Amino acid sequence: MTAACCTSYEDEDVLAWVLGDPAGFDDGELARHLAECPECLGRASEYRAMETGAVACRDGAVIRWRGFESPFGPTRIAASRDGLVELSWRAPSDDAFLAELEQRYRETPIVCDCDELTAAEDQLLEYFDRRRTAFELPVDLSRLTRFQRAVLGATASLGFGQVATYNDIARRIGRPKAARAVGNALGRNPVAIIVPCHRVVRSDGSLGGYTGGLEFKERLLRIEGRRDLLTT
Amino acid sequence: MTTTFQTTVPVESWSEEYGPELVRHVTRMLGTAEEAQDIVQDLWVTALRVEPDWGDGSNIRAWLYRVATRRALDVLASRKRRAHLLSARSGELAPDRPPAPDAAFGALSREAAAQVRSRVAALPCKQRDAVWLRWIEGKDYETIAERLGSTPETARANVYQGMKKLRGELAEIWNREVGR
Repeated sequence: MTAACCTSYEDEDVLAWVLGDPAGFDDGELARHLAECPECLGRASEYRAMETGAVACRDGAVIRWRGFESPFGPTRIAASRDGLVELSWRAPSDDAFLAELEQRYRETPIVCDCDELTAAEDQLLEYFDRRRTAFELPVDLSRLTRFQRAVLGATASLGFGQVATYNDIARRIGRPKAARAVGNALGRNPVAIIVPCHRVVRSDGSLGGYTGGLEFKERLLRIEGRRDLLTT
Repeated sequence: MTTTFQTTVPVESWSEEYGPELVRHVTRMLGTAEEAQDIVQDLWVTALRVEPDWGDGSNIRAWLYRVATRRALDVLASRKRRAHLLSARSGELAPDRPPAPDAAFGALSREAAAQVRSRVAALPCKQRDAVWLRWIEGKDYETIAERLGSTPETARANVYQGMKKLRGELAEIWNREVGR
């Protein structure tokens, strides 16, 4: 397939033709050449055929991600077509963040976002800036277990500045003895802040844990005017 | 109630509605408008003869594109035409891009579509981003470069590298799916 006789056109030329890119040759010349050169013809047919693949991609699953600066540091978000699947300020780098996503979505293209996630970025920054108290962003929790979804669903109903205990959440989902499991599920909340797991605290008045780092839980509660819950 | 044995295939109205764009599409592939017109003419005959199962109205266009494209690729693959036949007509090449092929190949099976996506998913990060933005979303290289923090030239190189990698694998899927 490679290194055959034809040197008139590179793969890049044929690709330019297929993608409609500006190129250093005339379309008609290439078409004439294709008529005579089986090798280039084969390449052109194959590249053209790839347009079917473009359709399959355009209509299928994709994960988009976006990174931006927030008061919490470099912050990264990712979303499926159905909603946010990840919010993280813990990843040390873009690559680390991507590697984790790739691990989770092996068969799905993960691509950088152009403008579909700007609303999510804007809303988060407004929240940090105390100009927003609720998010209007869909989340996609379909990869989680039914129990996790129930826990996060109950947690999502807590409004700005409103807190509940792990026991409260356990009762709300009809599993009154599962407070510890609730804590674990919240610890694996992939979309912190949006699903406000920082609003769930211990019955004894202490804050409990926070996967994103306890200092961030404190900062979030402070943003929401709940200094009363903080000891420091 | 009248029962008439009329032609159930309104070829004339299709020809009017889809003819010009199909000719442009095939011309773009073949480089000659005349052959394209032949292929599209044949299409109406085929449509009358085979009465394919095109489902609801929107699929008619899809079916027409699919058959036309398959014919055009057959021609591309088999012809050993003299260069001068083409050279006389290169001026007729449609300058615009062919219509988006989504109309043409809605028929890629679910399995094949999943394979395509997993191939794209497996590309190195930069190539994947560039290929996606150019090939799938049709963004221009300035936009892509800005997004990726590179230059338009680099963005283009990334697209082409990724497309080269995908070529063989997707061609195989194409042959299996559309060449049947």
